[in-house]
Amino acid sequence: MISSETVANGGRYSRSGLPVRFENVARNFKDVAALKSFNLSADAGELIVLLGPSGCGKTTALRVLAGLEMPDSGRVIIGDHDVTSLPSAKRNIGMVFQSYSLFPNMTAKENVEFGLRVRGQSPKDRSSRSGELLELVGLKSQSDRYPHQLSGGQQQRVALARALAVQPEVLVLDEPLSALDAKVRSSLRDEIRRIQLELGITTFFVTHDQEEALAIADRIAVMHQGQLEQLDTPLAVYTNPATEFVAEFVGTVNRLPGRIVDASQVEVENVGLVEYKSDSTFTAGSEVEVLVRPESIGIRGANDEGCRVLAKSFLGSTIKITLLDRADRLISVAIPTSDAGLVEGVEAVSLYSRGQALLVKGR
Amino acid sequence: MATIAPDLTPSTKTNGNNSSDVLKLGRPFRYIVLTLVGLFFIVPIVSSARFSFLGNHNSFTISAYTQLFGTAQFWSTLFLSVKVGVGTVFLTLALLIPTVVWVHVRLPKLRRVFEAISLLPLVVPSVVVTLGVITSFRGLPNIIYGTPVILSLEYVVLALPFSYRALDSSVQSIDLKTLVEAGQSLGAGWIKLLRFVLLPNIRGGIIGASILTFAFCLGEFAVASLLSFTTFPVFLVQVGQLAASQAVALSLIALLFTWIPLAVITLVFSQRRASRSTIVADE
Repeated sequence: MISSETVANGGRYSRSGLPVRFENVARNFKDVAALKSFNLSADAGELIVLLGPSGCGKTTALRVLAGLEMPDSGRVIIGDHDVTSLPSAKRNIGMVFQSYSLFPNMTAKENVEFGLRVRGQSPKDRSSRSGELLELVGLKSQSDRYPHQLSGGQQQRVALARALAVQPEVLVLDEPLSALDAKVRSSLRDEIRRIQLELGITTFFVTHDQEEALAIADRIAVMHQGQLEQLDTPLAVYTNPATEFVAEFVGTVNRLPGRIVDASQVEVENVGLVEYKSDSTFTAGSEVEVLVRPESIGIRGANDEGCRVLAKSFLGSTIKITLLDRADRLISVAIPTSDAGLVEGVEAVSLYSRGQALLVKGR
Repeated sequence: MATIAPDLTPSTKTNGNNSSDVLKLGRPFRYIVLTLVGLFFIVPIVSSARFSFLGNHNSFTISAYTQLFGTAQFWSTLFLSVKVGVGTVFLTLALLIPTVVWVHVRLPKLRRVFEAISLLPLVVPSVVVTLGVITSFRGLPNIIYGTPVILSLEYVVLALPFSYRALDSSVQSIDLKTLVEAGQSLGAGWIKLLRFVLLPNIRGGIIGASILTFAFCLGEFAVASLLSFTTFPVFLVQVGQLAASQAVALSLIALLFTWIPLAVITLVFSQRRASRSTIVADE
């Protein structure tokens, strides 16, 4: 999509990113606390995904950063500057919105040039810069089209080019892909990441889609009820969730009854011995609830005394199997497609542990 | 009116015999309706026109018009009405554009309240509004009070149901809040936002509000007469009491005055919309 020349020229419109810090930011809407002493620190050039269910405060955090929402207390710091009291127009933040936000009365090119026009740049400079950016997002040939003549994906590309045109210190994207269909969504997602890496710009990306978050982020900030639950790499968030909420929200999880054996092992019903992190304070014999990912449970083979196979769904590289144990509890198991033979024509199976428990909590 | 026809035609292709039977019946039916409605509007106008060209013993004459154009009062009252109309349009726009924009961006919950307020002049008798305005502005200097400026102030209020609605609906058709925020994040202040983003995108509403307000000013009689201003409609009534054919000629002129700009603007706008929607997007 992008010519090598543009890549080589990348440095011309890139600037090294700046670190961003939220310090004890709080924001209330009437009686509802959208943000409660929210703290987050992003390194320069990092792509942070704010992930969480609707109403968790992720969009509010983004709008506070962009200056579209003023916090009730706390500070927002970009680089060395406290920008908390600066209005949006003075912050130099590039923003891409969830809904199509291009100015309907301007062509793609004029939209990209808007920020430069407001800053009083000459038409010649504006034109060359909008040309570069439209090329960067692969829409050079559509420069003279109006927003209503562009598809949703194209509009969001133009919106991205427009946000980048002013050489922002920080780029913020508020669910930029949620209005697009699945195919365009994943290709544009990859493209946003490519451009972000190329420019090295510190970026905040809001989404409620965990797959999107895992795919694109340097670090994921999982938010819940206006607070940060965990800030970590996608892999760490998935394999080592800090809280029960994170474990449930990112990926799927089984909640199974178990009994502590020692500081590193727990006996889980139907599954057997499962390893867990030893920093918890359970005494041997305590009854606990164990959170286990579907792929951490393996199928040993047919066993009439075991769990009944309820449903199988083929997902390509894995098969998701829904089981029902003798106490009528549902267990979800994911096995590699190469192991498909294990459940072929089988009514009940026995299980074993293939990985660590995510979390162990008291009952 | 012509838009009624294309709305019905596509169903002939997709639906079965039943609907095309209805359409066979429907096609002449809608021409009958159109003709009747057309006659309802055109017959009085044509008869008026015929009457205004009628001389002694049913001869053709344009004397009603020549006499009118020769009257000094015709020009002075017309000029007064146009002046009041233009003033009212500017006052209305200056007052309403910021209001409507602000309500949409900052006070969306109060939209209904503002809408209800804008409809009040339809409910409250215009005589009451007139007296209300006069009472409210009694303390103002003579430049306003006792000059046609007071008439403009009256008309801003009385035309509110039309002007507010026109602006409000055009603002509602765009995602104003997002556009404003996008503009702000790109470094634009309110003046630049208004100039480059807001005004161009609600141009249709601005023009609509202007025409409706202007047309209202050019046709309003009661308030002007009550306040003893001889505007064009007041002159029309005065003439009507003396010379019937001149009064009819006058009302035809007034009709053309409001109708021609309306027709031109409607044509210009429908053409622009048609040419804009021709290119289909592709990914």
